[in-house]
Amino acid sequence: MHPALEEFAAIAANPDGYARAWKQQTGGKVVGTFAMHFPAEIIHASGALPVLLQAHDEPISTGHASIYPFFCSYTRSMVDQNAKGHFDYVDMILFGDHCVQLLSAADIVRMQTPERQVGFYQLIPAISDNWSFENAERTLRRAIEGIEEELDVSISEDDLAASIRVFNRSRSLIRQLYDLRRAGKVSISSLEMQHIVKSSMVMDKARHSDMLEGLITDITSGDTDLAPGMPVFLSGHLCHAPKLSVLEMIEECGARVVDDDLYHGFRYVSTNASEKGDPVKALTSWYLDRNDVVPCPTRLDPEVDWDLWLLDRTKASGASGIVILMPKFCEPHYFFYPRIKKAFEDADFPLLLLETEHETMAGGNIRTRIESFVEMIKRGAGQKISA
Amino acid sequence: MTAQADIAPEKRANRLAATKMNNRMVSEYWESLFRAPEEGKLVCWYEGIQMNPILQAADIAWCHGEAMSALLAARREEGPAQEAAEQMGFDRELCSYARTHVGCAALTQQSTPDAISALPSDSPELKGLAARLPVPDMIISAYPFCSTGQQWDDILYRTFGKKVPIFNISMPWIWGNKKSAKYMSGPEYREAVAFMAKQLRECIAWIEEITGKPYDYDKLSEIMRYTKKAAELKLEAQALCKATPSPASFFEWTNSIAPVNFLPGDQKIVDYFDGMKSEIQERIDAGVGSVPQERYRLFWDGIMNWNKIGWLADKFAKYDACVVSGRYTHLAFWQEPQVIDLDDPIDGMAENFLSCPISISGPQVLDNVVKHCEDYAIDGLLLHGAHTCRAFSYPQFMLAEGVGKRLGMPVAMFEGDMVDESYYKDELVNSRVEAMLEQIDAKRKVAA
Repeated sequence: MHPALEEFAAIAANPDGYARAWKQQTGGKVVGTFAMHFPAEIIHASGALPVLLQAHDEPISTGHASIYPFFCSYTRSMVDQNAKGHFDYVDMILFGDHCVQLLSAADIVRMQTPERQVGFYQLIPAISDNWSFENAERTLRRAIEGIEEELDVSISEDDLAASIRVFNRSRSLIRQLYDLRRAGKVSISSLEMQHIVKSSMVMDKARHSDMLEGLITDITSGDTDLAPGMPVFLSGHLCHAPKLSVLEMIEECGARVVDDDLYHGFRYVSTNASEKGDPVKALTSWYLDRNDVVPCPTRLDPEVDWDLWLLDRTKASGASGIVILMPKFCEPHYFFYPRIKKAFEDADFPLLLLETEHETMAGGNIRTRIESFVEMIKRGAGQKISA
Repeated sequence: MTAQADIAPEKRANRLAATKMNNRMVSEYWESLFRAPEEGKLVCWYEGIQMNPILQAADIAWCHGEAMSALLAARREEGPAQEAAEQMGFDRELCSYARTHVGCAALTQQSTPDAISALPSDSPELKGLAARLPVPDMIISAYPFCSTGQQWDDILYRTFGKKVPIFNISMPWIWGNKKSAKYMSGPEYREAVAFMAKQLRECIAWIEEITGKPYDYDKLSEIMRYTKKAAELKLEAQALCKATPSPASFFEWTNSIAPVNFLPGDQKIVDYFDGMKSEIQERIDAGVGSVPQERYRLFWDGIMNWNKIGWLADKFAKYDACVVSGRYTHLAFWQEPQVIDLDDPIDGMAENFLSCPISISGPQVLDNVVKHCEDYAIDGLLLHGAHTCRAFSYPQFMLAEGVGKRLGMPVAMFEGDMVDESYYKDELVNSRVEAMLEQIDAKRKVAA
């Protein structure tokens, strides 16, 4: 494995460890954020390290004393980790999304550890109303004031502009990898892509980009041996990373992931912010525009159809089928799934639904279903829904 | 399982006569909604907050999604709508209110092919109560806190082929970033109220576009006069239940949500609560309680299990326990009528919408519940975790801990649901409630 990939994988496996070490080395502050759309540039501009708080693989235990088991695994894991002290290095938590389960978990986290500020600056979920821009901009300005007050810092327009450039560079480099993978010019597994994106959510972005640039140079300089397998598109998991074992299984069973809309994937890096003009307005536009690039079911825009976007995108990627990874209890996904299923059924395009859970996924069953899915596509058996 | 028939009549809940009037009003309202298209009225579907006064002033008929789902459950007719939603591919873990209402969309005769194609035209499901719901001419989305509510409307909009106009109101969640933020106060709250009021006014402008008529603000004030009065009477009647024994129970207040949630704002809703208050006062004067023997006073946190209202009322009466009050019934539905200025009611309406118990976040909910438990001399806290309503259920562990710490009060937690009966496990409820009542007894013995 390339040394950069090894380091990305190690940090992705232990994001808290990385952030603790960063804090110790730099003496800086760490600000945790929850998924999905919060512009961490405003944290970066303060000099603090923004860390997207990640779901943990360990079973939920202590957290079940604070949250019902019918919440999604990301939110249960957040509450559980907070109860166990995993986030004790975090100086402040910020978030701005709209999913009811995420908001609920954040409130529980706040009440579990009241000594730490949990700032909520709700970015308007309806993104195409006449007042959406004005409201989102005001919210971001309030969030910046909140950071300044809590961390006792001052954030200038220049600081924000510099952070936007750092984040754009990171996003652009990861998108470059996506382009190369789609074009068949590099061979990157879905695990490796997750390591790259997930580590970028945690690491010092500039350093991550330097390492990534080196990696891209190295892997594009020689001949590429493309991994064999049926090309598939991966969709879903709007907040947390799919388990590596599931990704591994998909590729072991004869599929090759060529593109995705995962949060720990293309969704996270889909859109750059403008580097011109007022940086707060630029971040406001970034927030409102990114739904056009990769639709999110928690954003409300009557003109945007995740289902049809997904079908177009899957076809454009050269995939022969789509694998939907749907976390149990994810209501935003539940609402849209019937439309996605129908869009693919109407197009006679193969679709496989896999429901994921924090602890109780029957690996053998999933393996069988993926193998059957790949086999059916190979035989040209047409569209197959596996629910 | 304890069957209702097993409970001796003298141990059953002593229901208020006044609530019978509610049943009539509710039936009349639904029948008028079912007739609305024949009468040439526009029909609006909405969920969440009480948009009905705004619609009533524009002479538009309305369907409140949760109310429709609750109606079906209370009449045990939720099955066809829920099955239709399941057939469309909606997961059972999705909000049961939403699932049931989206199922209604599929069952209404005129819905778009993608919603209804799975059902044969002669299917009996198409002939039930759910299918009588007229299709909407417009949709308003205005849901406090819960993203599922907003998405539910979005999915309805898509289910009707994007042909029904929709207006979206984004409701801020009152979080309290500053430590100084308190219930209904602070700059964050004021900013949220201003944004909410602005959207309500924009919504009225949108209604004007749809109806082609100037909006009748005077009529809105008149409707809100009835609504405000009804809400005041309700609060006064509820406050009377601080008496021991409590003359009315949470289950009666649950039955009385309709007049302050979706029934037309008129003299009838005022008369309803006036009658209820008088009957409650008469009971106090006569020393009559809502349960034949009140030994325990309980607080119910969580949404009602709509298919089990009567059943639960009798169950608790059998235990000599009066569920005196609840977060759903006592802290919501025009819970702050005093802020409504009848000359210009929009700001006050916005304040009520933003101070309901899911518009405010955990710390303020806890403060309100603790105060309420103290005011009503509550002995124990019941936490009904509605399985598919994360919005209402999520703070319950915090409430259990917080109320327990502050008031030393025993709690009983159990799962159920709003309109999906399958999540309710009666034996589990029995054992948890009985354990809590024993704890209350033990505490009393120690205190004695």
